[in-house]
Amino acid sequence: MTAAVQFDTFTMEREFPVAPARVYAAFADPNIKRHWFAESAHHQVEEFTMQFEVGGRELARYRFNAGSPFAGVLLESNGMFLDLVPGQRIVNAATMAIGGRRISASIHTFEFSETASGATWMVFTHQAAFFEGADGPEMRRAGWQQLFEQLHARLAKDGQ
Amino acid sequence: MTAASLREPDGADSIFAALGDATRRSILKMVLQGPQSVSVLAGAIDVTLTAVSQHLRIMESCGLVRTRKVGRVRMCEADRRGLDVLADWVGINRRMWEHRFDRLDAVLRE
Repeated sequence: MTAAVQFDTFTMEREFPVAPARVYAAFADPNIKRHWFAESAHHQVEEFTMQFEVGGRELARYRFNAGSPFAGVLLESNGMFLDLVPGQRIVNAATMAIGGRRISASIHTFEFSETASGATWMVFTHQAAFFEGADGPEMRRAGWQQLFEQLHARLAKDGQ
Repeated sequence: MTAASLREPDGADSIFAALGDATRRSILKMVLQGPQSVSVLAGAIDVTLTAVSQHLRIMESCGLVRTRKVGRVRMCEADRRGLDVLADWVGINRRMWEHRFDRLDAVLRE
């Protein structure tokens, strides 16, 4: 049976204590971006390449460390920049694969604006289609989005 | 990044199988608002008490809900264990991005 795709959208907002141009630069410079985007205590970065231009690719390959739940497993993200407005907006799309199996495709939209104090207000919108975990009975799309939203609300209420 | 749903694939599979049914999703939506009596659940989704009990057994077996007797009333509430597995699966991307933005914030403050 073909697994039904499930959808989830969430938004995160952050304030950074520098001007939008500097935040944008941290996305545009491959060395800086590798540091905050790709590196983690949980995995080794086997590859991180990006061409910061519309249509440019962004490829990342991570190998989970020994002692992590998926020791030795490969995580790959394969993306492309769709829209770039310096200092204001970055849009890219990417698939994610774990152990060679694609589990999601998503669109990431980052919107930057300057606050009254000269800091940056960032709104990040993550829209994803998940392919993972749907091997059971056919799952209808209707109801999932609302269920996920209620779940997020409930977890927020519980202090997570 | 952690992902209990992948660490315990059987757990996640039984939860998603249970939620493949629209009636059971309705039940979960109701108990996410707070504990409900089984008879109120049956009335709200317009099924018999026997039918709702069967749904609840499936949902209890995968850790999505818990039922307990309060006096003569059987109450049903969301079970944190199942919700955590579900949240892990839903939240993989969210947590990954939260950690990324924490690091970006640190980079920008250097």
